Amino acid sequence: MTIANKKVLVAGMSPLAQELKELISKHGAQVLSLDQLDEHQDSLDYVVEVTNYNLEDKKRIIQQIDQALAARPEVPILTTSLAITATEVASWTTSPQRVCGFGTFVPLAERKLIELAPALQTEESIVKKVEAFVQSLEKETSIVDDEVGLVFPRVLSLIINEAVFALMEGTASKEDIDIAMKKGTNYPYGPLEWADQIGLDEVYAVVRGLYRDLGEERFRPASLLRKMVLAGRVGKRSNQGFYSYNK
Amino acid sequence: MLVSVIGAGTMGSGIALVCARKGHQVKLMDTNQSVLEKAQSFLQKILNRDVEKGRISESEKEKIYQSILPTQSMEQLADCEIVIEAVPERLDLKKKIFQDLSNICSEKALLLSNTSSISITEIAAGCKGEERILGLHFFNPAPVMPLVEVIRGMKSSEENVQKVVQFAKDLGKVPVTCNDSPGFIVNRIARPYYNESLNILGSRIATPKQIDEIMTKAGGFRMGPFALQDLIGIDINFATTESVYTNFFHEGRFKPSRIQQRMVQAGRLGRKTGGGFYDYSK
Ligand SMILES: NC(=O)c1ccc[n+]([C@@H]2O[C@H](COP(=O)([O-])OP(=O)(O)OC[C@H]3O[C@@H](n4cnc5c(N)ncnc54)[C@H](O)[C@@H]3O)[C@@H](O)[C@H]2O)c1
Repeated sequence: MTIANKKVLVAGMSPLAQELKELISKHGAQVLSLDQLDEHQDSLDYVVEVTNYNLEDKKRIIQQIDQALAARPEVPILTTSLAITATEVASWTTSPQRVCGFGTFVPLAERKLIELAPALQTEESIVKKVEAFVQSLEKETSIVDDEVGLVFPRVLSLIINEAVFALMEGTASKEDIDIAMKKGTNYPYGPLEWADQIGLDEVYAVVRGLYRDLGEERFRPASLLRKMVLAGRVGKRSNQGFYSYNK
Repeated sequence: MLVSVIGAGTMGSGIALVCARKGHQVKLMDTNQSVLEKAQSFLQKILNRDVEKGRISESEKEKIYQSILPTQSMEQLADCEIVIEAVPERLDLKKKIFQDLSNICSEKALLLSNTSSISITEIAAGCKGEERILGLHFFNPAPVMPLVEVIRGMKSSEENVQKVVQFAKDLGKVPVTCNDSPGFIVNRIARPYYNESLNILGSRIATPKQIDEIMTKAGGFRMGPFALQDLIGIDINFATTESVYTNFFHEGRFKPSRIQQRMVQAGRLGRKTGGGFYDYSK
């Protein structure tokens, strides 16, 4: 399948949005933004929504899209299920069968595979459509059960959360934590530099979402992670995270 | 320098080789004569391969080999400047060894433990000169893995921390320093890689094969968490988690997995038993 000449709406606040727009237009589709929704509501082919940190914004955006496409329930809405389940996102809509979850982190160039998580309500035909859509972007897919953070974002976010606990407690310096995980156990990046690359707000959204939905102590976010997000130090994107980045 | 390594097992023999390759005189001590003999043939084998591959000459090989002196007597270690202990992971055993060492060795000798999970502070408690007792944690296999963790016990002096860091650098290793807290850096921060994957499996979100594929292809990890447990040994991995969990006073973030416990109980320990999360019997 190809998405050449298809119309894809990309909406949402995650740093994934910009990278997805580039990737999708590279594969020949016309990328639209939220303010073009009304103009193209009769001809849109796919919707991708990627808000993670602010769930009120996410709900507002999803409902706006769902309402504009009320007459076209066959148009799939692919939404990030990093901080919330796809099932909950689907519950906000009037056509929940068209909503399917997915999740990954930037940079997309490093992801050979992207996970999909159908909601309880998702129709099989929609799953097939979004699978083909993601594969047309030259990414492999893996379908997992719908839970906050899917697999890769969940596991990595909890590794980062633990690294932040160790940093907060003064167990070791940030540099030594990063070196240790690369040289002692072959991680591709140290967890703190990795968090800076992904965006601390994205990582925090996953951990907070798991804690909110599953309520276990194992998901308690490190308070330093929360405070850094509140202070706007989200990593490379803001020139300041665990490390400083000069423009 | 005069270095001694106590315990000539998996870690001790590797650490002795690392030291000898950098020109140190090494006394390799083990209470078990047959272990010492095994260690010597292991060293011969590795050094012969180095010669075959042209990495060292025959005479360099002899020099390195001759610089490792096997011994069964603790008294022999009296003149060493650095002692690295690598006996089995038991507090009573390690405490006794450090008590003895602190009496036998000079007051300036640095006494280091390769423990993976026992508190350095606890090992050092009551010894003469607690400020020179520190952790020096190598990773398996010691001759290959670049990292060493230098662990500061509550009473270790900063001067000695810096000396051990320099010693590790001179060995060609990459040292990091950390305080004496459970799992130090790597064994603590790596816990969620295994534990959370097991938790995801337990909730039937994905299969082990799927999780491994996702972590390698989406995450860029070299090996998936289940293939890696099979390689390390599921019993070893479970024991590390249990120890970190216990030493953090049952902090929920480290809670061990029941799936993993059942695998240990069933003797499905990974590659070494022909099967773990994957089957290796064919
Ligand atoms: N194997 C690993 O992957 C690994 C990695 C890092 C750290 N460690 C740590 O290194 C230490 C040793 O582990 P190992 O895997 O090499 O164990 P091992 O069982 O292979 O070797 C231990 C050796 O100590 C000897 N020994 C026992 N009592 C002794 C005594 N009183 N005096 C002298 N020698 C004695 C034994 O004969 C044995 O040869 C442990 O503290 C372990 O936690 C192990």
